[in-house]
Amino acid sequence: MKHLESLVVEGPVKQRLVVVGNGMVGARFVEELISRGADDRYDIVMFGDEPHGNYNRIMLSGILAGSQAVEDTFINPLDWYARNDVTLHAGVRVHAIDRDAKLVHGDGHVIEPYDVLVLATGSSPFVPPLKGLSSHGTDMKEGLFAFRTLEDCDRMISYVPKARTAAVIGGGLLGLEAARGLLERGLDVHVVHIRSHLMEMQLDSPAGLLLKATLEGMGVTVHLDKLTSEVLGEHRVEGLAFADGTTLPCDMVVVSAGIRPNVSLAFDAGLLVERGIVVTDELRCPGDPSVFAIGECAQHRGQLYGLVAPLWEQAKALADRLSGRVPDAVYTGSRVSTKLKVMGVDLAVMGDQEPASASDEVVTYSEPTRGIYKKIIVRNGRLGGAILLGDASAAPMLLQAFDRGSELPDNRAELLFQLSAAESATGVADLPSSAQICNCNGVSKGALVTAVEAGHCTLKSLCEATRAGLGCGACKSQVQQVLELAAGDSVREDPSVHFYVPGVPLSKSDLVEAVRERQLKSVSAVFAQLAGGHEDPGSKVGLSSLLRTIWGAEYDDQRDARFINDRVHANVQKDGTFTVVPRIFGGVTTAAELRRIADVAEKYAVPMVKITGGQRIDLVGVRKDELPSMWRELGMPSGHAYTKSFRTCKTCIGSEYCRYGVGDSTTLGIQIERRYQGIETPAKLKLATAGCPRNCSEATTKDVGAVAIDGGKWEIYVGGAAGGHVRKGDILVVVDSHDAVLRYMGRFMQYYREHAKYLERTYDFVPRVGIEKLRSILVDDSEGLCDALDAAIGAAVDAYVDPWQEAVDPVHPSQFADLLEPVGVVSGPASTWERPE
Amino acid sequence: MSPALGIVAAIAPTATDTATHCPYCAFQCGVRVTEAEGALVVVGDADFPVNRGALCIKGFSAGETLDHPLRLRTPLVRSGSGDLEPATWDEALDRITAGIRASQESFGHDSVGVFGGGSLTNEKAYLLGKFARVALRTRHIDYNGRFCMSSAAGAAIRAFGVDRGLPFPVEDIADADAILLVGSNPAETMPPLMQYFQAQLAKGGSLIVADPRRTLTAKAGSMHLRLTPGTDAALANGLLHLLVKHGAIDLCFLDERTEGFDELRGVIATYWPERTEKITGVPEQQLVRAAQLLGSAQRAMVLTARGSEQQAQGVNNTLAFINLALALGKRGQAFAGFGTITGQGNGQGGREHGQKADQLPGYRSITDPAARAHVAAVWGVAPEDIPGAGVSAYELLDGMGQEGGVHALIIIGSNPVVSAPRAMHVEQRLRGLDLLIVADFFLSETAALADVVLPSAQWSEEEGTMTNLEGRVIRRRAIAEPPVGVRADDEIIHAIAERLGCGAQFEYSSKGELFDELRRATAGGVADYSGITYDKIDAQQGVFWPCPSEDHPGTPRIFAERFATPNGRARFHAVRHQAPAEEPDAEYPLYLTTGRVLTQYQSGTQTRRIERLTRISPEPHAEIHPVAAKRAAIIDGTLVRLVTRRGTATARARLTRDIREDTVFVPFHWGGVASINRLTNPALDPMSRMPEFKVCAVRLEAQSARQGVISV
Repeated sequence: MKHLESLVVEGPVKQRLVVVGNGMVGARFVEELISRGADDRYDIVMFGDEPHGNYNRIMLSGILAGSQAVEDTFINPLDWYARNDVTLHAGVRVHAIDRDAKLVHGDGHVIEPYDVLVLATGSSPFVPPLKGLSSHGTDMKEGLFAFRTLEDCDRMISYVPKARTAAVIGGGLLGLEAARGLLERGLDVHVVHIRSHLMEMQLDSPAGLLLKATLEGMGVTVHLDKLTSEVLGEHRVEGLAFADGTTLPCDMVVVSAGIRPNVSLAFDAGLLVERGIVVTDELRCPGDPSVFAIGECAQHRGQLYGLVAPLWEQAKALADRLSGRVPDAVYTGSRVSTKLKVMGVDLAVMGDQEPASASDEVVTYSEPTRGIYKKIIVRNGRLGGAILLGDASAAPMLLQAFDRGSELPDNRAELLFQLSAAESATGVADLPSSAQICNCNGVSKGALVTAVEAGHCTLKSLCEATRAGLGCGACKSQVQQVLELAAGDSVREDPSVHFYVPGVPLSKSDLVEAVRERQLKSVSAVFAQLAGGHEDPGSKVGLSSLLRTIWGAEYDDQRDARFINDRVHANVQKDGTFTVVPRIFGGVTTAAELRRIADVAEKYAVPMVKITGGQRIDLVGVRKDELPSMWRELGMPSGHAYTKSFRTCKTCIGSEYCRYGVGDSTTLGIQIERRYQGIETPAKLKLATAGCPRNCSEATTKDVGAVAIDGGKWEIYVGGAAGGHVRKGDILVVVDSHDAVLRYMGRFMQYYREHAKYLERTYDFVPRVGIEKLRSILVDDSEGLCDALDAAIGAAVDAYVDPWQEAVDPVHPSQFADLLEPVGVVSGPASTWERPE
Repeated sequence: MSPALGIVAAIAPTATDTATHCPYCAFQCGVRVTEAEGALVVVGDADFPVNRGALCIKGFSAGETLDHPLRLRTPLVRSGSGDLEPATWDEALDRITAGIRASQESFGHDSVGVFGGGSLTNEKAYLLGKFARVALRTRHIDYNGRFCMSSAAGAAIRAFGVDRGLPFPVEDIADADAILLVGSNPAETMPPLMQYFQAQLAKGGSLIVADPRRTLTAKAGSMHLRLTPGTDAALANGLLHLLVKHGAIDLCFLDERTEGFDELRGVIATYWPERTEKITGVPEQQLVRAAQLLGSAQRAMVLTARGSEQQAQGVNNTLAFINLALALGKRGQAFAGFGTITGQGNGQGGREHGQKADQLPGYRSITDPAARAHVAAVWGVAPEDIPGAGVSAYELLDGMGQEGGVHALIIIGSNPVVSAPRAMHVEQRLRGLDLLIVADFFLSETAALADVVLPSAQWSEEEGTMTNLEGRVIRRRAIAEPPVGVRADDEIIHAIAERLGCGAQFEYSSKGELFDELRRATAGGVADYSGITYDKIDAQQGVFWPCPSEDHPGTPRIFAERFATPNGRARFHAVRHQAPAEEPDAEYPLYLTTGRVLTQYQSGTQTRRIERLTRISPEPHAEIHPVAAKRAAIIDGTLVRLVTRRGTATARARLTRDIREDTVFVPFHWGGVASINRLTNPALDPMSRMPEFKVCAVRLEAQSARQGVISV
């Protein structure tokens, strides 16, 4: 290895190296230069438009979302420049380059001569020429923002309290990141995209559509194929108008319609500019040996790059060359690949989105319900491109295979599912009996098995009997495996399959116990104390449901832990509208009630009025901001058509009118629904009562059903289903009064609440536990739980509050957006991992 | 077992249950040795607080080298016909001194070099350094520890001001809440250490193991980060990024006991999780989980070993992990901190007493005038007569027979033909020497090339002190006399010195007298042994250095009050990930990494001659992922040829999903065509001069014979 000293140019006069641009590439280049000792060769001068040091632009969305502290994003704070003898003109815009005199002219008469000039001017947000962008002489109308710099972030954050609805123009990566930040801050967010699917630069159409569905589940409204024509509002943003004649009322607009390389400085200086500043493999501008360009502004072999990795490769190559470390260093282009998160959804993309020729092999896997899409393009046995959305667990291997251009395994499943990274299952089972397990004492697998068969069925006794594991002890885990194998125990399972929610490493019973013992009454308290402070978004909804079950009225409701449906107590529809389903007990209504429903439907121009499968009336197509007033005017409680809870109890006409009826199913149904309405459960509960075994209300295929039989008795069915999965319920018990039906149903529901996994429907829960066991616990009281179950469900019933009361008393200023005056910002502070004291 | 030879008779009178230490790794297990039916029986010493009775198979079988039929019992001298032939000690010594004189007359003092080892006792390491500087007056001395601990040492000195492998006793491991263990596989390389990790796990602690392979250790831990070889610094920085983001760093500790974090902050900002995932290949969720385990731990510990250190970025990698440990805070207190797990038996002591090209006893710098004056006074020479700094181990070997390099070399306790990087090149250079002298107990691959081979005494045949991985100085006991014809290394050194005319300076009435001189030489140095006495070692089950006076108890936790930097603060270093010197490409598409197996030790000079060890691992295997194997048409159990830009080697394919698809692992204990170090890259760390053993680019080729054996 050569010593650095021998490479340093001797002599008193250093060359002047001027870098225009202090972003992630310009500053990185200077860092690379200094790390190569080139500060002995050059006096380095930098210009940066922004008034501070270099920061990590990639983290801006975290700042906007409130999850990232600004000070942690600085890569080169201002004192870095001073420490390294770099002159930085921060906040000074360069307006001209005089290549003849070799001078750079900055604002405020800052003039710097150069021997070597490096342009790293980056790019700017592209703002399409819309009507109404500016108002009264300002560049941008109040409420209109670009998303590129720290200042943009600051301005947006301070404007958020004045806004309720934000529209983001542009469904590319940056636009979606902006949308995420604004959503986290409590705004109602719309993304308006000109193309037919989101992120078309990175995603193919199926992936883009899948992403749309995922984002909508988070509460973002996505408008595709929408060309924005005008920003509405006199002084400040009031909405957007589109080319198709529609409008969108909103009070904040973020324009994120792409970026344009900043080339005007180079163009004016007479350098060759096409889409970007043209550079050679030396990263030099053709025709001027002393001018170089790197970063988003540079066009190399016809290609512009926008990702950090290739641009840092450019910075490195140029630093190698200009430092003299590798005087003939060249940049020959990069393979573009990246791993990122779009609104918290994992995404990895590399290479091509679509096959380039018929010989390209395309492998796809799609699982829409989980928001997962994977696609790889195999070209000549190597990776031509890939998209991983929703599950990027295979990303590390694919990214490296792509970057290195390495050969792919023949079994493509290895690529998509990362079989190879699976915890290896090869264990002692595969070893021959003669294999030595304990090297210290020379004990073979066969000897261990013999000892187990002789009755040494604990690790301790097995080790003592064979002396295995008594030397260094390194083999103990293998001895344990032989023990498990020989003793016939099942293979040890991944403990996480028993976790109630993925983000808290506890089984449901342990979690319930810990929650009770530590008095954890909010989702964040659970994360803080039981998950090391790490808030797993995927676990919030399940936890929220469980805590409500445990604490009832004492539960500290944190709305961000709720799914959108549960935040606004309505079912979000494909187009972003909502439904209103008022409670109609037992499906029995009155003319007055129907009239009120009709009036409301008419007044609010509800596009569709639908009788549901559960005998309710559904007002479909309602705007979010109209929800509370409709509820108020209906004067009926919520029908809970949207949440994981008791939904409805369907009834037949029953003995009162029906010729065949043997039991009063309508009265019973109304009683059940009045008692258990809105009770939260791990998954939704659909009930029915049938007045005779003809089962017109389909009570035998409900989660819980009651069927009247002769002699005034009722059969109670549990675990039935007639959806995607059809299952006849199991009879839990036969009783002879309405009270008894109510009691056993409640007892069952409470047991289900306490023991089912989140989202586990009764048709999975009942077979899993076993009807015999359920009978023994709930009917025979074999475990002495019945009194406690009855009391707990009673308390839950007492704690029930109609959520539609929030129409009068909202929990959050922007809960229903336009209705109320905002009072403040809800921002998510950076979460911390508490240390236990 | 062969019939009892002279050795057994010799040990019989004294060998009734003596407490001493195992001859192998840096854990230096306490053992009790008894003689039964003519053989030495070695068992773990339950009273010794480090291994607490545990011992691995290497230790159990350590008695089997003593009366081994292949043991050298007479000097060998290369004859005119080119063969090594038995000779008397006088003949051998005459040949040595004549060769040294001839070389130094023609090429100067520096033309003779000394190459030591990390298994030598403190006394011998000290004596070797003194011998080079005083008797040979050469600047060229270095040792195989350069291939072992130099990166960890370089990093620790920069960050903490002192290099002691573990700055705390091993027992602290059991009480850490979270441990990040990097590039270390103690379940195979140091099995008795595992009891502390097992205890830590049993108490609910988490053990995060970072390794390209899912080793036995990784399987035992609570989490495995399967990083791409050569991306250690990126992993450390990425974890630190997450800790910073989540406010899990110890700001009070940073403020009170460290400096330099602000300069690091900006570097850390560039290691966001997705980027870190892309560089390291460790999935983001795992990074987050690992950071969370470390960040939420009351007491977190970061331990590294050769995996991250034996790289051309070894010092930087280690500094990055030190950064992480410092940011987690509570360093220097019990059950927390940074440590490195030393490899060779006396890897710690071996680097403290002057075997390194740039150091004098007591971990003093050879360029520091005060240090030179102090040591010169102890040695009874003028300070200016002590030569300056020489070059590092690989450079010393690479320069052999070249202009400015050494022409004669004395090797004690090392087998560089197997253990040095780019071993075929090193072998060629050794052949180019005018005189090669090797002292060893077996005819190692290196000894087989020598002009003079000297048979030396083994572990149980001489007294001395060792310093284990904790910095605990312990005593090794003489249980037996060496066989007739065999001499201890210090006697050999004395004999050569005498013939060179300075015998008086190498004459000691006892090992105690030699140790006392070592104590004086280290007095006031960083590794100050001056207060350590044999009695104190016996009474305390070892003494932790520094121990500056006889009434000082020693220092188990050296950073409890302050760090050893001038201002007492630990220093952060703003280090960035840099790619390894060689990365896979189309021609050499995989990473090659190397390491050890349970039943072999280092170059195998001892362990390959013990039947019950070679039965278990007779030859090197190549761990290959099935996907990589399929690409190269390699079947499990067949021989595979491994090719790098520096050479080829053969190993037996072992297909396993425990290794990354892009990486091949081969243990390095064998010589000849089975020597994996023929392939490794001698790219050196700019600071520590550590070669890049752990990462290079390799190609696999199937060999035809499935049933063939590798001649090793």
